[in-house]
Amino acid sequence: MMLKGRYQQLEEKIDRALKERSSRTALYRAMKRGRDSRHRAVGALPGGEGFRNEVRSVKVRCLEQQDELVDRFATKVRERGARVFMANDGPDAISYILDIVKKRSARTVAKSKSLTSEEIEVNHPLEEAGVDVIETDLGELIIQKVNEKPFHLVFPAVHKTAVEVAEIFREVTQQDVPQDVDAIMRIVRKYLRPIFLNADIGMTGANVGVAETGAIVIETNEGNARLVSSIPDVHICIMGREKVVDTVEDALQMMLAHPISAVGQHLTTYVTMMGGRSPLGVGDGRSPRESHIIVLDNGRSRMREDPLFKDALNCIRCGACMNICPTYGVVGGHTFGYIYPGPIGIPWTSEVHGLDKAAEFAPLCVSCGLCKEICPAGIDIPMMIAGVKDRDGEQNGHPRVNRILMAAEGMAKFGCATAPLSNWMMRNGLFRWAMEAFTGIDRRRALPPFRRRTLPKWFRKRGAVQRSKDPVRQAVFFADIYAAYNAPELGRAAVGALEALGCEVILPRQRGSGYPYIGYGDLKRAEKLADENVRLMLPHVEAGYDVVATEPTAAYCLKVSYPKLLHGRADAQAVADRTYELFAYLEMLETLAGGGEQTTLYKGRRFGFHVSCHQRPLDAGRQAMDYLRRRGAQVELVETGTCCGMAGTFGMKKGMLGYELSQAVGEPLFQAFQEANVDTIVTESSVCAIHLREGTGIKVIHPLELLMEEGEAG
Amino acid sequence: MKKVISPSGRRLTGGRFALTLMAPDRGIFHESSKGGGDMAEGVIERFVSKYETLSGRVHMADSTESVAEAVLAVLRDAGGTRLAAAELPDALMKTLEGRCADAGVDLLKPPYDGSALPGAIDAAHVGVSWAEFAVAEAGALVEFATNDATRLVSTLPRVHLGIVRAEEIQESLMDAGPRIRAFMAAQPENATVTFISGPSRTADIEMRLTLGVHGPEMAHAVILDQ
Repeated sequence: MMLKGRYQQLEEKIDRALKERSSRTALYRAMKRGRDSRHRAVGALPGGEGFRNEVRSVKVRCLEQQDELVDRFATKVRERGARVFMANDGPDAISYILDIVKKRSARTVAKSKSLTSEEIEVNHPLEEAGVDVIETDLGELIIQKVNEKPFHLVFPAVHKTAVEVAEIFREVTQQDVPQDVDAIMRIVRKYLRPIFLNADIGMTGANVGVAETGAIVIETNEGNARLVSSIPDVHICIMGREKVVDTVEDALQMMLAHPISAVGQHLTTYVTMMGGRSPLGVGDGRSPRESHIIVLDNGRSRMREDPLFKDALNCIRCGACMNICPTYGVVGGHTFGYIYPGPIGIPWTSEVHGLDKAAEFAPLCVSCGLCKEICPAGIDIPMMIAGVKDRDGEQNGHPRVNRILMAAEGMAKFGCATAPLSNWMMRNGLFRWAMEAFTGIDRRRALPPFRRRTLPKWFRKRGAVQRSKDPVRQAVFFADIYAAYNAPELGRAAVGALEALGCEVILPRQRGSGYPYIGYGDLKRAEKLADENVRLMLPHVEAGYDVVATEPTAAYCLKVSYPKLLHGRADAQAVADRTYELFAYLEMLETLAGGGEQTTLYKGRRFGFHVSCHQRPLDAGRQAMDYLRRRGAQVELVETGTCCGMAGTFGMKKGMLGYELSQAVGEPLFQAFQEANVDTIVTESSVCAIHLREGTGIKVIHPLELLMEEGEAG
Repeated sequence: MKKVISPSGRRLTGGRFALTLMAPDRGIFHESSKGGGDMAEGVIERFVSKYETLSGRVHMADSTESVAEAVLAVLRDAGGTRLAAAELPDALMKTLEGRCADAGVDLLKPPYDGSALPGAIDAAHVGVSWAEFAVAEAGALVEFATNDATRLVSTLPRVHLGIVRAEEIQESLMDAGPRIRAFMAAQPENATVTFISGPSRTADIEMRLTLGVHGPEMAHAVILDQ
């Protein structure tokens, strides 16, 4: 059953977030800076992006041996004279902490930033027990004073201006605070210093636990964790059990991965590897010094048994997925998150706070897949989010508009069968108004027309053309919906280009890629379609054919999504291994034919190129740009480092969870294209093209459209 | 080889005394694991450049005497009179004590009376501590501590000065494993290793980089190259 307005609350939050112009600008700047600095710093590493493989291999190995590592870690910690408490869940950990508070008659707890302590919401019960809890990380302190949640993982108070922060500390300190960042900082230092010096308990998280040495690793730039872990006689650390790694070298790998992924820093300013509990000076004047390491489970052991969600335990909490997420980047953590924010926050919330909490913000994921590409641990975040949407859909049904868009293939066939009537109706304002009301597809979106003469029809009539008895290569053309039903001329141009280079092309029975099933979270149907397409392709692959797709998302499905959906099945992998993106394939054929010749066909043209998100993991887009450059065009890659906002059919939907959000995400890219001074935008994605055309007012074409001109010219 | 000069333009040279004694026998101060000869070319410059990028300042010293000189110059620049020292090699501590007495500087040094902490160190203007080694690619000084007073010396005062031997500057973070392992093994109970890369920093307000929000607002590294 679909409840009308189920996401009303979320849509209202998005609406409010989009109206907060200054917060949006601040967030965009923070994220862009994070991405750009990361990009530069990773590029300077000896292995470049290859460091992600090392990080993943450390995490995966340690996750495999987790029980043994946690045991060894606990033993080592105890040998060093600190205490270990294994907490099953939040209440378990909290009651242990309250016991310590009681025993030590503690009145103040100074905390350094810890997401795990936020996960179990430890502050509230402490405050109820009469304890003053002070967050000492500056950003966390600011939002604690105004009872807010973090807006951004690394910069929790990025939405607050210096003027607002000055006002907050004026209230806190009851003294005049100048509205200047340096002056505010001096006042904060003065305000916090006595708290550091006199706190009864210091509470920290841990970025890593090292089984080999029994040490915890705490990383900060401000140095607050050093103070709270050294001055108070009682130190409490709360850490998730997934943080335990095996060796010192594993820990070093994590220490590098965290800040470089988050902000492009090599190490945080302070990295503390703390083993046991050190004395403070000499003599018996002080109360006994203790360190308590609370190792929290809270659903993690169960997660480890879940084949899909297990991957979330590889998260190192760097926040890189947030820095690249297109929708997080415009709405921020108050809207895109419960306690854990951003893309990885969706599976984590589902597992530790409940599916219902995760489902409240999961629709913000547009399945662009970029989080997976930036994640230092290579976590398949989008597939886990699809899993959350899927579980939610099973319990509560999918929204109607999503169901309609998931059935796009049937609609396209129907549209083609009834063309040109269907196209006339699609252009009719009244019809679009009614369609919007009934289906939830925004009437402002210019939708591609349906063609009566579809690509399959054309091909059946024409048959495969065998140019020679011994073709250079043989390929299945995988058309997907757009080139089959909406723009068969593109399909024809693709087939023509392949054949011109001596490749035999066939167009056997096939289905659409079915990516919307993943995007909107119907994994059963996604799996069924993956299975069907793999079975349809396999005999051809076995007979020596390659599979060539021009729609980036279709190539991504065949290469990346299907093997995952089909649990690594050998046939899916065989098809994946033989799948190519059209221009990568054309480049290969040109090389086989003795290298692409240079022509001046497009001399004088200035193209701005847009790479769609699903091309990034395939290293695609580059070949199409080179293809045009070899023909004399000036091609400039224009990008903001994130998605254009269309995200398949997401941007076609009416409302905040669709058109409005999609426009907000697209704005900086539209502007970049306008400033790039190009005469035409080129992109291989049929849906990005619609969005860019409407957003920029610049002509947008598929590179194959140029081939068509070429054909006409010839 | 590029000359290493501190950003203040002060090139620190010319102490008359050589560092004669290595380390107290506590297992904290190790003999150099590498001889000076096989040191990777340019590693000092890379450390200096990275450390300065992180808003730290670097001074070169060729003797304990010139280290002590650098410490007192930093204290003077900070307009301070109280110096807190963590554990230092005996010869260096001795030299520093002598220089402080001459200059009328209040030198706090271990062992620290626990009941006077953390106040005593908080009251110091400059904290001076020993770094076992440094990592060039990260611009990090690495401190080994078995008493939290050591950690406070490098955290509480507004100015921190860390001293490292030139031959103990290593290129890469991933090479730090064996030394950390050896220290942790030599200290079966409490032991803390800290990587310190410049002054305490935050960008939590309007993404503006600000130094010294909790820890030192100025960080100096003295490289002892004898």
